[in-house]
Amino acid sequence: MGLLDGLLPAYYESILITVGIYIILALGLNLITGVTGQLNLGHAAYMCIGAYTSAIMSMHYGMPFIVAILAGGLLAAAFGVVIGYPTLRLTGDYLAICTLGFGEILKSVLYNVPAVGGAMGLAGIPPKTTLTIVFIVMIIVIISMVRVESSRFGRALVAIREDEIAAECNGINATKYKLQMFSLGCFIAGIGGALWAHKIMVLQPRDFGFLKSIEILNMVVLGGLGSIPGTILGATVLTSIPEILRFSSEYRMLLYGALLVAMMIFRPHGLMGGVSFNSIAKRGMRWLKPGDKPDDKPGQKGMGG
Amino acid sequence: MPLLELNEVTIRFGGLIAVDSVDLVIEKGEILSLIGPNGAGKSTVFNLVTGIYPPTAGTITYKEQRLNGKKSYHINRLGIARTFQNIRLFPELPVLDNVKVGRHCRSKASVFGALLRTPAVKAEEKAIEQKALECLELMGLDHKKDEAAKNLPYGEQRRLEIARAMASDPELLLLDEPAAGMNSTEKKVLVEKITSIRDMGLTVFLVEHDMKFVMGISDRVAVLDYGRKIADGSPTEVQKNPDVIAAYLGKEVV
Repeated sequence: MGLLDGLLPAYYESILITVGIYIILALGLNLITGVTGQLNLGHAAYMCIGAYTSAIMSMHYGMPFIVAILAGGLLAAAFGVVIGYPTLRLTGDYLAICTLGFGEILKSVLYNVPAVGGAMGLAGIPPKTTLTIVFIVMIIVIISMVRVESSRFGRALVAIREDEIAAECNGINATKYKLQMFSLGCFIAGIGGALWAHKIMVLQPRDFGFLKSIEILNMVVLGGLGSIPGTILGATVLTSIPEILRFSSEYRMLLYGALLVAMMIFRPHGLMGGVSFNSIAKRGMRWLKPGDKPDDKPGQKGMGG
Repeated sequence: MPLLELNEVTIRFGGLIAVDSVDLVIEKGEILSLIGPNGAGKSTVFNLVTGIYPPTAGTITYKEQRLNGKKSYHINRLGIARTFQNIRLFPELPVLDNVKVGRHCRSKASVFGALLRTPAVKAEEKAIEQKALECLELMGLDHKKDEAAKNLPYGEQRRLEIARAMASDPELLLLDEPAAGMNSTEKKVLVEKITSIRDMGLTVFLVEHDMKFVMGISDRVAVLDYGRKIADGSPTEVQKNPDVIAAYLGKEVV
């Protein structure tokens, strides 16, 4: 077991594992906020549920890792349904505040539950997360997201983001789709959390606060809301930049902040806004076959509008 | 047995009565136009029929089913599709995908279908694309299928909305000011398209400002003024109706 493990020095392997987990987490949030346009400021809460659930599963019940991961994902999805059912009727700022609130509530609850370690945290989780496992899960999540994107389900989600009333008038039950989408996004967050728990081995409620949610949101926004390759790039860049900037020690976070600001000024739609694997493939085909260029539409401006 | 029947339909927004006990009957296969001055409540009638607002009083019946209280997506599945006065496309989506969304209520692949991509799902996806292309061709937009909807000129956006509505195989098509903002050539094309849609066996209910357009295309015209229906009949009858003339041109003060 573990084709990819031990090929690299432990330090780089650890960074790659972190990058992989963040890609998973960010893809879950991209589905909710990027594809469907529902601003979720509490993504870390679902990651947290997955992390604690899977940790308890492997520590107290001795479950195999795969079962622990799935249990984490499923409980996170269940919470997604419970929280999503009342809140997804809200839009924009109101939804954002509600998701933020849930994240903070969950954190406070965990602080006060001795069974999961309270503020002391939950320690002694077996280090089962390997690069191979993270890589496999990441690939499955990427393929799933690409498939969703080009499906009837995915089109319905984008339609809801673009114009909810028009979506409803075209036969889409927006509430139902938002709920399904939200629980899928939370499931992915839960899986990411489970992998995270078995990597860092100690869980503390404060690790899953508002800042963590914002960190993941940053990746999605930087990469380009709604773009899968963008989200992957965003998660990779933002996870590795703090490592690359290690030479500058205490100026690290300052540089990180400056980079973010610069990025948003020069690429307001993110690094790869509007880019999908599909569009990359199409462009690739055009490069391979330079002979038949798709008809350049000359100045079709019409009446504008 | 009419296709759609509005029976004393009323809607109040606070103190404003936007639609005031309107009776309206649409027979299968006709083109009915609803006209009236600005703010007469024409678009509100559409919003009532498509379930965006529930009526305060009265009943809306479509093929012997009460539409009151039904959700928009359910009404669409029953066979009513619409366009919007202020164009509501999915601007970032390609033209083809906009129309594919319109096919939503006639297809069934779920989240799991999307993830597993079974042969049945693939076949359905192919059928959706086929239907979408047919609808684009019908509205003369097939050459623009890969462009983002937001990049189309105004007149084509209006036609794209009709293509999207057609993708659900509706029996009743509601067009909210389809000719608004179009030049005379574009209008001529639109009249042809709407007529051919009617010839396909659909019933068309449209709201329009442009009198010339309405009188040329409609089998019957109903007139709304301040939420009340003041006339209903053939285009020539309505044109001669003194109440209609008064509503449009104002009354002589004696």
